Amino acid sequence: MRNTGVIFRRELAAYFNSPIAYIFIIVFLVLTAGLYMTPFFLQGQADMRGFFGLLPFFLLIFIPAISMRLWAEDRRAGTFELLMTLPLRSSEVMAGKYLAALTFYLIALAGTLPIPITLAILGNPDGGAIVTGYLGAVLLGALYLSVGIFISGLVRDQITAFILGAIACFFFVGIGWVSLFIDGWIPGLGTFLDGAFGLSDHYESLMRGVLQLGDVAWFLVLSAAFLALNTYWLEGRKHG
Amino acid sequence: MIEVQGVSKRFGQTVALDEVSLGVEARSVLGFLGPNGAGKSTAMKIITTFLAPDAGTVRVDGLDVSEHPLEVRRKIGYMPENVPLYDDMRVHEYLAFVGASRGLSGGRLAARLEWVAEACGLVGEYKRTIRELSKGYRQRTGLAQALIHDPEILILDEPTSGLDPRQIIEIRDLIQELGRTKTIIFSTHILQEVEPVTERVAIINEGRIVADGRIGELKRRAMGGSRVIVGLAEPAADALASLRGLAGVRSVMPLTDADAPTRFELCGDGDEALDALAASLAREKGWALRELRESPFSLEDTFIALVSRDAAGAAAKRGEVRA
Repeated sequence: MRNTGVIFRRELAAYFNSPIAYIFIIVFLVLTAGLYMTPFFLQGQADMRGFFGLLPFFLLIFIPAISMRLWAEDRRAGTFELLMTLPLRSSEVMAGKYLAALTFYLIALAGTLPIPITLAILGNPDGGAIVTGYLGAVLLGALYLSVGIFISGLVRDQITAFILGAIACFFFVGIGWVSLFIDGWIPGLGTFLDGAFGLSDHYESLMRGVLQLGDVAWFLVLSAAFLALNTYWLEGRKHG
Repeated sequence: MIEVQGVSKRFGQTVALDEVSLGVEARSVLGFLGPNGAGKSTAMKIITTFLAPDAGTVRVDGLDVSEHPLEVRRKIGYMPENVPLYDDMRVHEYLAFVGASRGLSGGRLAARLEWVAEACGLVGEYKRTIRELSKGYRQRTGLAQALIHDPEILILDEPTSGLDPRQIIEIRDLIQELGRTKTIIFSTHILQEVEPVTERVAIINEGRIVADGRIGELKRRAMGGSRVIVGLAEPAADALASLRGLAGVRSVMPLTDADAPTRFELCGDGDEALDALAASLAREKGWALRELRESPFSLEDTFIALVSRDAAGAAAKRGEVRA
């Protein structure tokens, strides 16, 4: 715990030591709130479905931008060798980095809280749907970040980590669109992939205000799987 | 303290280490020499548990690096060749981060921070951002990081690379002083850096240890004996022939122009005292001696002889295989 904490503090500070963090948060808030607000005023409905509906696509760009540096930067700067020769377990270092990235995302997400507050003042929104919607947003970020940190470990270059991360995260969104096509090719495979990795079912029920253990577990299990792969890679790398 | 036994490591087709064995006693300093790309860094990465060997074992203070990596890492302070610094941090933040990762906190951490800043000459730069530091101070910060937890063992990969001569001497003095209480392996490809710091060297070439021992011994072994310079006041017609005739002299090379040479370089097998022999010959022949001195082989001569002999050996071996 203590070891993870040391890495966590260093990594979180690294985000805020650079102006990129502040620019990132501002762009994130302007884009998400801005794109959501236009139809909001046209429709005049006090809910956040539009906001949460956009998030899986926004985060395809924003989350890989957070996660791309996690290992790639250390490998470029040589600090990777320091981290891997400190008396810390690979899993502790990984957890510290992951939690720092997640915290940074949560800070950016917290910046959108004025939206539900405004809604509560202007109308009478469904509070439950907003709470589960935010839970979905947190879980979505946690999943994308776990994919992003894993990919950041595989490459040395941050831009490559960004692009591959975005493509990998897109798989969760896009598989639902092409599952029928894949079924036509190899019957059953598309449906299976969509069932196992398709994001939309799990995310949309949270967006509608339906809290099901299975949906939450889907996010947590997949995130944990990518973090485990990341740790496995860290251990196996020594033999490379 | 450090025992490396039959360690091999390949990266794809490249053999980085080929059955390397090495031992370092507690509280001694080993200079690890070799041309660039010889395998020095790979060996150090394996000792520090950054890489795992393909074959062979490494024990640090009796602990196998593959089985007890965390315990081994606690004992070692490591400065990699590519100094691992976080450019966005201040020097003191960075050192405190490494200290905390190594389990230091509170008063102990504060005391160690003060000590390393003092020992590595970082007091003036303590609050600066690492990005702004000169090459020399970056190197010192890297060394300070390796010393923060007062380790028993120091592994320093090219600690003086890129430094100016004055800085090299400072780091060298520090290594020498630390060597009194710690076990140190430091690598370099600059030979002059080794002799002032330690007597004990290992030379590696193309992944194999080609020599391991005291510098003096290695010189004698590599060059096969001793070397004496003889200078005559007047040219003597039979000088070359008579010197060649001396017992124990293997070769004589005139150092001045060939018609009437007055200076010669004598190489011997090392058992006889060549200078005494040359002196008695001069007395016998009635030559006036202007110069007579032993000319010790430099570490460069030794190094080049060992490395090229190794390369020739390897080539011959490859030739045999082909034939």
